Amino acid sequence: MKSSTEGIIQILNPSDCFTLAMDEEIRQENMPGSQCGFALELAGAPEIKAIQERINEFSERFPLVFASLQQRGKRFFWCQREHQHPLFYQHNTADTVNEDDFHKQTVLQLLNHRQARETIPPIEFHLIQSANKNTFLMRWIHPFCDAKGADLILKYLCTDDAKQRLRFDVPKLEPLVNLQLAKYKWWQKVLLFIKAKRHITQLDTLQSIIHADTSKAPERLNVNTYTLSTEQTQAINKLTRQQVGLTGTSLYYIGCFMRALHKMNPEQPGDAYCTPYAFNLRRNKALSPLLSNHVAPLFAQAPKSILHDRAALFQHLKQQNAKTIREKLDYAFLPIMLAASWLSLEMHGEKLRTSMRTGTERSSFWFSDIGNVDLSNTSFFATDITKIYHLCQISSPPALAFLSCQFNQQLTLSYNFIEPLFTEEWIEALHQNVLEELLMA
Amino acid sequence: MKQKIREFIFNELIFVAEPENFSDDDDLLEAGLDSMGIMRLIMHMEEQFNITLPDSEIDPDNVKSFNALEQWILQHKT
Repeated sequence: MKSSTEGIIQILNPSDCFTLAMDEEIRQENMPGSQCGFALELAGAPEIKAIQERINEFSERFPLVFASLQQRGKRFFWCQREHQHPLFYQHNTADTVNEDDFHKQTVLQLLNHRQARETIPPIEFHLIQSANKNTFLMRWIHPFCDAKGADLILKYLCTDDAKQRLRFDVPKLEPLVNLQLAKYKWWQKVLLFIKAKRHITQLDTLQSIIHADTSKAPERLNVNTYTLSTEQTQAINKLTRQQVGLTGTSLYYIGCFMRALHKMNPEQPGDAYCTPYAFNLRRNKALSPLLSNHVAPLFAQAPKSILHDRAALFQHLKQQNAKTIREKLDYAFLPIMLAASWLSLEMHGEKLRTSMRTGTERSSFWFSDIGNVDLSNTSFFATDITKIYHLCQISSPPALAFLSCQFNQQLTLSYNFIEPLFTEEWIEALHQNVLEELLMA
Repeated sequence: MKQKIREFIFNELIFVAEPENFSDDDDLLEAGLDSMGIMRLIMHMEEQFNITLPDSEIDPDNVKSFNALEQWILQHKT
C-alpha cells in the first residue's frame, strides 16, 4: 500500500466505492471481482481496422482506460500506470462445428478471468470470430463505470459521425452523487441517512429467500441468454402496460421473476424475495457523465405470502416504488454511500449485503433492466448488430442475476449464475417459468 | 405551470440539447421520459400543485407532452 499522492488521477466517488465493496466481496469468495460485460452479436465480420482506430480515439479522449485502481491510505484512487496496455483483442477459431460453443466459452473465459485489482485493465474490447459468427465483447470492472456508462461507451463506438462523438461526456460533470449531496445541508444529510437506515431495518424484518445451494463453494460464472421473438416482446410490452401501467416496466420483470423463482421451490426457507436495483442519477438521453458510477441502490421486496396473487404482487411492488419516490428514499441512500465510502471494504460489503436482523444475505437475486438499447443506428463497423446482452459477476449468495434489455424490438433475458450453486438445467427450468409469467394474461 | 414542469423535466429527468426548441406539443416519451421518470414526475406534480392524480389515468395520452400534462393537471385542480 503506497501512501504518497504520486500518480493519482482521481479519487473514487461514493457510488464507485459501493461497487468496489462488491468487487471485494466477490474476490473474497475466490472469484474474479466485479467484472461486467456487454456483448454484441453481429451479422457479419466488422471492419477491424476501423474498430481499432475508434478504440484508439476513445482511449485518447478517456485516458482513464489505462489507469490502475490503487489503495492509498484508507481510500481508493485511479492512478497512472507505468505502461499502457492493449485495449483491443481478437479471438479466432477455424472450427466450424462448435462455433456457438466457442463464442460462449470465450465470453465466459473473459468474464471469469482473474487478475489483481491493481493490474486488471479497467476496460477491454474483444472481437471473437469464427467462420459464421462474430461477437464483440466489452468487458469492464464496475468501479470504472456503471451499466449506463457502458451503454454510452458502446454508443460512442457505434457513432460514425466524428462531430457527434465530440458531444459525449460534455459538459464534464462532477460525480452526480456528489452534486446531489451538495444540495443538502448537513442536517438534511443526517435526516436522510436516518430515513434510509430505517428503511433498511424495515426490509430486514423479513428474511430473504435464497435459492442458491450455499453448501457449495463458488467456482465460475455461467450465463444463459434468451432472445424473445418480436411477437413475444410486443405481447410482453402490452401485458406490462396492462398489468402494471406506464410507470412499472421494471417492476413487471421483477414481479414475474419472483413468481418464477417461487415456483421452482415454494418451500424454500425465508419470508420474502428482495432484490437491489440501481437508481440512475443521470438524466435520460444525457451523454454525460460517461465514466464512473452515478447510481444508488434501491430495493424491491415482496413477502412470500402474496406471491400466489399476481395482481396483489404487482400492486405491492408499485406501491413500494411510489413510496420510495414520494418519501425520497432514493436520495436517502446517498448519505449512506458517502458515509460508507470511509469504511473498510470488508465492513462496507457486510453493510451492503447482510441483514441487520438475521445476519443473512439481503438479496435474493440481482436485477438490472437496461431498457431499450438506443444506438444511433443498428450497425457496427459495416455489419448489423443482431443481439445485445449483458453480463456481470455476482456475489455468492445470491449467485444469480437477472438482466434484461430490448434491442430491435426484441427482449433479451440474460441469466447470470454462479456454478455450482446453480446449474444450467435449473436455470433453463427457471427461464420456462419466467417466460410463462411474462406472457401470462 | 408549464414552466415549472419544464424545469423539473429538463433539470431532473431528461436531457434535451436545446430545451428552448422543445415545443409544448413535442413528444416527451420519445425524448426519453421512461417509466421511472413518469413516476417521479407524477409525485412531483402532486406535491407541487397539491393534487392527486389517479393511477387509472396514468396513460400515454396524459403524459406525452407539456400541453397534455397541463390539461391533466387542470382536470384535477379544482
